[in-house]
Amino acid sequence: MRNISLIFKQFSKAVLLTAGFAILGFSAHAQGDATKGEALFKANCTTCHKIESQLIGPALGPLVTAETDDKWLTKWVQNNQALIAAKDPKALKIYNQFNQQGMTVFGSLSDGDVANILAYIRADWKTQQAAAPAAGAAGASGATADSGPSSLVIWGLLGVIVVAFIVIIVLNKVIGTLERLLLRNKGIVLEEEETEDGVAKVPVDKMAGLKHLAKNKKFIFFVILCGTIACGSWTWVTLWNTNVHQGYQPEQPIHFPHDLHAGVMKIDCQYCHSGAYKSKNATIPSLNICMNCHKVVKQDSPEIQKIYAALGYDPKTQKYDSTKSRPIQWVRVHNLPDLVYFNHSQHVKVGGIKCQTCHGPVQTMKEIYQYSPLTMKWCIQCHKRTEVDFSKGGHKGNAYYDNMIAVHDRIKRGEKVTEASMGGIECGKCHY
Amino acid sequence: MLAMNKFRILGVLIIAIAATVVISSCKDKRSTGWEYAPNMYEHLAYDPDQPNSNFKDGKTAQVPPAGTIPIGWVKFDYPNTHDGYELASTEVKSPLPQTAANFADGKVLFLHFCSPCHGQNGQGDGLVVQHGFPPPPSYSKGQSSRGGAMKDLTDGKIYHTITYGLNAMGSYASQLDPSERWKVIMYVHHLQTL
Repeated sequence: MRNISLIFKQFSKAVLLTAGFAILGFSAHAQGDATKGEALFKANCTTCHKIESQLIGPALGPLVTAETDDKWLTKWVQNNQALIAAKDPKALKIYNQFNQQGMTVFGSLSDGDVANILAYIRADWKTQQAAAPAAGAAGASGATADSGPSSLVIWGLLGVIVVAFIVIIVLNKVIGTLERLLLRNKGIVLEEEETEDGVAKVPVDKMAGLKHLAKNKKFIFFVILCGTIACGSWTWVTLWNTNVHQGYQPEQPIHFPHDLHAGVMKIDCQYCHSGAYKSKNATIPSLNICMNCHKVVKQDSPEIQKIYAALGYDPKTQKYDSTKSRPIQWVRVHNLPDLVYFNHSQHVKVGGIKCQTCHGPVQTMKEIYQYSPLTMKWCIQCHKRTEVDFSKGGHKGNAYYDNMIAVHDRIKRGEKVTEASMGGIECGKCHY
Repeated sequence: MLAMNKFRILGVLIIAIAATVVISSCKDKRSTGWEYAPNMYEHLAYDPDQPNSNFKDGKTAQVPPAGTIPIGWVKFDYPNTHDGYELASTEVKSPLPQTAANFADGKVLFLHFCSPCHGQNGQGDGLVVQHGFPPPPSYSKGQSSRGGAMKDLTDGKIYHTITYGLNAMGSYASQLDPSERWKVIMYVHHLQTL
């Protein structure tokens, strides 16, 4: 028994050894570890490159697969600027093709690291190419399999239901006529006349009831009273809500989800509405601000395609065609009448009020709506209740408030104050 | 009889109130509702974001005429090329006094405009990056794609990059005016030392 187990042990050792050598040999043949390469690729390259398409630099999948000179590729990755300085023709061609932007120098990557990255890119591109036609075929067959039977089934079911209804109606009529025939044959024909009399009597009774009620003064009083209350309260509510757009949620030309941008991504309101801190208007962002991210992110979304169309931007060539561009007409939500002057920067920068105080929980809104009533009463209420602390926030170091406090101190000290000391000879006081 | 009437009056009142609540709650959110004197809302004066038939391109917000300069404009005559970038590096210095107030402003501006990608500490790990945007290099540890370490970037180089954008980063000239850019740069210099 012992002999057998010993033989078995030796045998298994030999198998393991050969297997180990085989794996080593295989990996040596592939000249790079794709899994190590993947980690390196994600850490260093994804800033500017994608495997399947052009980002800032070229699409690496086809490029690295076509370029088989690994020594040259390694030199390029480790120090592309030396290659360009040495006027290497291949390097210069790529350099000029990408507007002489140049690539980050990766001196820290060893030859082995670059080989791993190249192995990963080639392997990934191969699997992507193999998957693409298969997915296309599967998608096509899936589409036919989905749309064909489903619509057929729906129409078939509808047809069956309609036919069934027709059959039921026809059968009912047939049964009815047959029954009448039977009754006539038996000589019982008088039911219909009787029912006619019954029908005639009932309305007479009802009318009599109504007439009786119309003579009842108390009832009339009740009817008028409840009519007055209903109409009055309707008028009251309607008048109070006239010109108040609270809850207004118009459909916008592009579905912009605030909950995703301000909620999940926590992008500050000022990033897009950059006027809020320094201008009367919070400003609707121009499309270049969308493109700060969406040049790269979510290129395939139909909503983002609308941005590209409005800009005349072609994501494939990454070029703008200004002749095709047109403005996007967003629908205005918050609108104050022309008689009101409202300044965002005074409230946000000086007053230090959060955007959400007036605009509500925008970071949770899928679609923007008007949260506050924006009525005069609403403004006045907040102005009455908000206490001002001149030693804090935007008031501190603000020349207007500093001067105001200085003037008040002088009055308290019994000194005389002139119009000029309160800004009375500033140009804008008279010359609007 | 009287008791009956009381019940009736109460019932009618309740029905009337319920009816008004129901009627007034049927509001179409896509509409602004009733307006009195709507010309106060749709006024004659043009808002900057309104269409305007008086101009050829139909917009109210017009681009300033060619060759004009807005008040307070600061010249930055360095083209968006590698040479322009290097030249800006040697010639341009921050004109702002290095005060604590400017630094605090710079921090707020950095958090609002830059941190979504660059991260709160400038390590290139902002929330947008965590959701799939290509990560920018760390200010303190990364390498610049235009050569050199990120921590050695000069005033002029950072200003050039904010003004024109680089790689995946767009131009921030429309969101940050020159003095705001210099405030941000003050804070970025602090992040380079982290």
